[in-house]
Amino acid sequence: MPVVVAEGVVKRFGATTALAGATCEIGRGVTGLVGANGAGKTTLLGLLLGLSAPDAGRLEVLGLDPRHAGPQVRALVGYSPEHRSLPPDVRANDLVAHLAEVHGLPRRAAVARASDALYQVGLGEERFRAIGTMSTGQTQRVKLAAALAHDPRLVLLDEPTDGLDPVQRDEMLMLIRRIGTEFGIDVVLSSHVLDEVERICDAAVIVGEGRVLAAGPLDALRSTVGGWLVEVAGGSDRLATALVARDLTVTPDGRRLLVEGVDDPAVLRDVLADLGLEVVRLQRRRLSLEDVFLESGVYGPVEGPA
Amino acid sequence: MTDARILDRGYRPYDGPRLGPAGAVRSLARHTAQRVMGLKRPAAAKILPFLSAAIAYVPAIVFVGIAALVPDERLTTEFLPTYGEYYAFVASALVIFTALVAPEALCPDRRTGLFGLYLASPLTRTTYLVAKAGTVLALLLVATLGPPLLMLVANVLQGLGPDSPADVALLFGRVVLAGLELGVVYAAVSIGVSSLTDRKALASAGTLLVLVLSGVVSSVLVEAIGAPDWVLAFNLGPAPTELAQRIHGEPGSVEYADVATAALVGTWLGWTALGLGVAGWRYRITKVVR
Repeated sequence: MPVVVAEGVVKRFGATTALAGATCEIGRGVTGLVGANGAGKTTLLGLLLGLSAPDAGRLEVLGLDPRHAGPQVRALVGYSPEHRSLPPDVRANDLVAHLAEVHGLPRRAAVARASDALYQVGLGEERFRAIGTMSTGQTQRVKLAAALAHDPRLVLLDEPTDGLDPVQRDEMLMLIRRIGTEFGIDVVLSSHVLDEVERICDAAVIVGEGRVLAAGPLDALRSTVGGWLVEVAGGSDRLATALVARDLTVTPDGRRLLVEGVDDPAVLRDVLADLGLEVVRLQRRRLSLEDVFLESGVYGPVEGPA
Repeated sequence: MTDARILDRGYRPYDGPRLGPAGAVRSLARHTAQRVMGLKRPAAAKILPFLSAAIAYVPAIVFVGIAALVPDERLTTEFLPTYGEYYAFVASALVIFTALVAPEALCPDRRTGLFGLYLASPLTRTTYLVAKAGTVLALLLVATLGPPLLMLVANVLQGLGPDSPADVALLFGRVVLAGLELGVVYAAVSIGVSSLTDRKALASAGTLLVLVLSGVVSSVLVEAIGAPDWVLAFNLGPAPTELAQRIHGEPGSVEYADVATAALVGTWLGWTALGLGVAGWRYRITKVVR
């Protein structure tokens, strides 16, 4: 059962259309919500929490419609916002316990789980410090602990590595991965840093101009815009001509040819054998999420090599 | 050999009860009350709330003590204040609390962005505001209800109060009604002004300004322009106290002798509706930074 279902979701703010028919399914595990700044990621998170209603379309979170069951959805969801949004003069443990209580836990359980959550995010020794005396990295961890303390079924994290140095960023990413695996809590990680999504996510939803441009497991996303790289020792022109004759798309890439539209790799093998060419390299093109992102049309049509 | 052992601090799921929106409101109310009273905060944050409590309670404790130590009926009837007159002693505590302490309930949440985190919980904008306004009202009631109730209990125990149970019940009802009247109007004004800014200092200044201007404008209108006396009922300083005295069936001040009780009730309703209306409108349109 998917954790989140969105069908044709539209959200407008005055004349601005933040989401223009977003459609996707988010499954179990850690999912990256990827898009440029202003793509509609935070708007989508707000709709998932039931903080505003979509102008059109259908949303389902953990089997509930957040438009009609907002408080019930939010009781089951943990949320860590992008901005620094914690009172500086309150101790971390007190705030996390209070927010767990606000999410429905009885007082005693909230206090116990606040300590546990702060310990899990690496602030066990620091939990009685005032938040205002903490570093940005520690504050991000407090926000994460606050999102976890009530044992949610789903955690929404909005740019959780914002403002962190490389070491803190690595630690935070590993922590988020643990939440999605060891803790068994599904995670939606909103980020514009593709590298971090690629490192820890099982799947991604690519958002651009208010639409979902691509969604699915990372491996599947990479393969949908994949292709094969072929390099031969001489005769690449003949090879290109032969491949085009078989209705394949061929793009020169330095000394290699990028061949797309290959349903069966045996076709490549047969063409190479027929032409008697010496094969230097024949491999599936390995795409990064950045390639997928760029080819999804987020920034308009991608120009191919001349 | 040591007795060292590995402590498993792995993640533990929670399968206990969940208290829903009602639990969220209770938690927010308790947290707000602690914050407003300066509990779990630096010593400086405790000064004004406890000062206002002291101003409200110390006279009542002194009067009760005098009545106990000097059992002369003439003293209690001629020199000690009546229940209605006691609200004059509470007035300064109410102003301090309404203007300088109560804005702590609303302003910091918007300033720090914590309001956004609350809205990501089972709370809604409405339940959030209900919890906040309810807490401010409850704390004000500690000042408006507590001292007269203390006097009532002490006087009954010392045989100085009403004799019959019916009279005690009537006085108790008047104490509760007068306390609610004062608490509700000042809570509404404080919440209304505090909802307009996320800076506590501005909210305090704004509340003081509303309290002072309501008196200055109504006095100028009556004395300089010749407006009818009922305009004095808009004065947020003495008018609610005057109404509290009339609830106790006492004559009140000479200045308000020509102001009808209906005018006092009407302006009380007006200020309350205005304060709560402004807060409700403001929190409906407030954008949340996430």
